[in-house]
Amino acid sequence: MKLNAPGIADAVAAEYVLGTLSALTRARVQRLVRVNPGLAGAVLAWEERLLPFAEGLTPIAPPARVWARILQGIDADRAPAEAPSSIWGNLGLWRGLALTGFATALALAVVLFAPTAERPEQTLVAVLAGQDAKPVLIASADRTGRTLLVKAVAPVEIAADRTLELWALQAAGNPRSLGVLPPSGVARITLPGPAGATLSSIPALAVSLEPRGGSPTGLPTGPVLFSGPVQQLY
Amino acid sequence: MTATPEDVSRQIERGARLMELLARTALADQRAFAELYRLTASHLYAVALRILRESALAEEVLQESFVSIWNNAGTYLSARSQPLTWLTSIVRNRCLDHLRRRALDTVTIDDEEEGMAIADDNPSPLDMLLASADARALRRCVEALDADQRQAVALAFYRGLTHSQLARHLKQPLGTVKSWVRRALERLKSCLDGAGINRSSER
Repeated sequence: MKLNAPGIADAVAAEYVLGTLSALTRARVQRLVRVNPGLAGAVLAWEERLLPFAEGLTPIAPPARVWARILQGIDADRAPAEAPSSIWGNLGLWRGLALTGFATALALAVVLFAPTAERPEQTLVAVLAGQDAKPVLIASADRTGRTLLVKAVAPVEIAADRTLELWALQAAGNPRSLGVLPPSGVARITLPGPAGATLSSIPALAVSLEPRGGSPTGLPTGPVLFSGPVQQLY
Repeated sequence: MTATPEDVSRQIERGARLMELLARTALADQRAFAELYRLTASHLYAVALRILRESALAEEVLQESFVSIWNNAGTYLSARSQPLTWLTSIVRNRCLDHLRRRALDTVTIDDEEEGMAIADDNPSPLDMLLASADARALRRCVEALDADQRQAVALAFYRGLTHSQLARHLKQPLGTVKSWVRRALERLKSCLDGAGINRSSER
């Protein structure tokens, strides 16, 4: 498969999504999708085109045992995060804050698709919002870069003896500090590795209120003010 | 025929709800996960059952898919596809992988039954293509295909038939079937993209 030839990747992606490829070719496409962004993009586009076909099917309720088995499967697979005995143990708060992610999608679109904005080909973005769902901070990084740009889009007022600290929420385990933020303007945070690799497994970013200079313990100690899911944009 | 504003707003509302549930699932919220299952399992089970035609296997795929959704909800990228599309792709890919893992040449398509289903009023792959209620532009584009192309696409989509299985099933040379499928896909693409059905742009 000469996937670099124009049109070939698209044609292969179309057949892959439709389901006509043999076992061997199918497996090959699945491997290539991971390393060939053009092919991956073509597959996504074809999924958007063709999978609505499935919406013509009459829904059929699966037997109740399926859900019971799923619950067994997930209990074994993902233990609850080892949350410290602080507000961070309260996953409910995280959940509530995660909801704001979608509400801010429009704001995000406005920011990113502003005509003058020059967008790198692949960008990671998180819109962090408080409980009122209003976006306050926008964090973004070029996938291959190591700088996370955090920009305040609304004023944040905190007491003089407090500091905002940015955290990467882990799928399992404790949040990891990414650094402290100035109360206004733009912060440039250096990531330990390329943003694509560092942030791809991070479901969300969050900001907590800490004593001046940042958390003394390496874990969040104050309330979570803002959070938002990490999203990839092309 | 285009989607009405009501259709579009219902679709966006549903997408927003599913996206929210996925975000909460990513944060290990079991209640959100249960709600996600409640809202989508019947749809996804129908997809699996239609392709695999075996309830035990369809149940297994649904189960595996939801465990995978639980583990990978954080990687769902809302900017890239509709949540239902993402969920459907997980289930469908697993179904197709199952089908392909079976011996390549032991497809259990009952030709007679399949032939009848296409000819009569039972919901056949073809009818279902045309009944995609949520995608009227898609329907219009499918209707614009030649009958041969349409049938090949429907069988591939709903039965997961490979090119050679299609050729055997339709009793046509492999090259003929391949070109039906290829042309059908080309025409669908230009028709759908022209109709602005690229749904990610609606958000």
